[in-house]
Amino acid sequence: MAAATIAFGSTSGAVGGAISAKNVNQFSPISSFSPKLSLLNNSNLLSTNTLSLKASAKPSFSCKSMASPQDSPAPDAAKVQELSVYEINERDRGSPAYLRLSQKSVNSLGDLVPFSNKLYTGDLQKRIGITAGICILIQHVEEKKGDRYEAVFTTYFGDYGSMTVQGQYLTYQDTYLAVTGGTGIFEGVSGQVKLQQLIFPFKLFYTFYLKGIPQLPEELLGAAVAPTPAVEPTAAAKACEAGATIVNYTQ
Amino acid sequence: MAAFRSTSSSLLKAASISSSAKLAPNATSLAQNVSPFRLFNPLLRRGLSMITTPSTTTAVSRSFSCISQSTSPDSPTPSKVQELSVYEINERDRGSPAYLRLSQKSVNSLGDLVPFSNKIYTGDLQKRVGITAGLCILIQNVPEKKGDRYEATLSLHFGDYGHICVQGEYLTYQDTYLAVTGGSGIFEGVYGQVKLQQLIFPFKLFYTFYLKGIPDLPEELLGAAVPPSPAVEPAAAAKACEPGATILNYTQ
Repeated sequence: MAAATIAFGSTSGAVGGAISAKNVNQFSPISSFSPKLSLLNNSNLLSTNTLSLKASAKPSFSCKSMASPQDSPAPDAAKVQELSVYEINERDRGSPAYLRLSQKSVNSLGDLVPFSNKLYTGDLQKRIGITAGICILIQHVEEKKGDRYEAVFTTYFGDYGSMTVQGQYLTYQDTYLAVTGGTGIFEGVSGQVKLQQLIFPFKLFYTFYLKGIPQLPEELLGAAVAPTPAVEPTAAAKACEAGATIVNYTQ
Repeated sequence: MAAFRSTSSSLLKAASISSSAKLAPNATSLAQNVSPFRLFNPLLRRGLSMITTPSTTTAVSRSFSCISQSTSPDSPTPSKVQELSVYEINERDRGSPAYLRLSQKSVNSLGDLVPFSNKIYTGDLQKRVGITAGLCILIQNVPEKKGDRYEATLSLHFGDYGHICVQGEYLTYQDTYLAVTGGSGIFEGVYGQVKLQQLIFPFKLFYTFYLKGIPDLPEELLGAAVPPSPAVEPAAAAKACEPGATILNYTQ
């Protein structure tokens, strides 16, 4: 995956062309986001930082190892499967809902941010479903011009099932969260997921490192589009056309 | 630990009065719910808190198995339990807890939410490890116990080591066990349970993790735990986050 991350420190007011004034007003409850909501134009305002990966969060897991030769469906406990998905906020789900319950002008402990966005396969060819959960604001990190959240949410994969996730979400750098469980094909899953923010809070790229489940279906494993702020789902996937979604994608 | 009972209420009052300015506006509701609470099996747990090596956990009375022999030196043994002790201390400099009285009732009621974030230290109180971050969902006030039942969802962040996710019941009037639901970094794939002992509500808590499914924990997290009591304090160097008194890139 690309090493570029967004230094989300830009407070310049440049708003990406896609956001009209109307859309901004629609999100007035989150106007406190505004220094960080200003969309970064695709190139010039971005500065790249090296990923500050946790030293011990280095992949102690290998890349996809060979499945055990028998055709037994029992999952190999130690085999790690990688799964990439894109989470995209298309601003048609009323998300995020920034609840400024701290009643302070600066983001503070007490603020809660329920959210729900759309999920696409890593190759951006198919609509999968949605994310649904809550971000608990823990603290504003002034020196990074960003915030620390504790995120608890589920990723929904239509008829395939779902996965629950919990961990830290920092608006200024990539993080690893825990995969705490799953249903359907993800039943019994364990592992961790890397979260890369491409455009806060509209585009995120997840790389799941999953253990304890059978081989994932091919349609979820297409070669991922390299994550950048400019990525977009295919028009067919966005429109949820037949063949551009998984079965009964979650809405 | 026996001495704790008689002094607990005076310590609690002192703690709540001095901190009321920093707590959320409804801090008095917290103070009112403060009460002497009974430690759960104090003698049994005291012995366990001193354990530093996994091989001696057989004394634990809970239902997880004793440690079995490892067959593969490099992979975690499925049933091996590792104990990890951690102190959570609210030093009143993080705006925590934030008691959101969304029920709009005078008594703590379902609807109230309490986001929180405190500092965590190694069990031996020698090193600053990081922070807790999470949410307590008030479930009900329990008048006969002069306390409350919460459902807690939180993570403990251990700097560069990773984090552990926890979920379960938090009762302000007695010790509880919560589930370890997952982790990242060295805790990736972890499962098990954690015992929560409240020392001073809501300022000092002692966690004993019983962890499975991960490689051996690093030595610096496994120092002999200071026996939990309301009077415990982190080493001054750890509180000041001096070099050598923190883990690498402790979470802030």
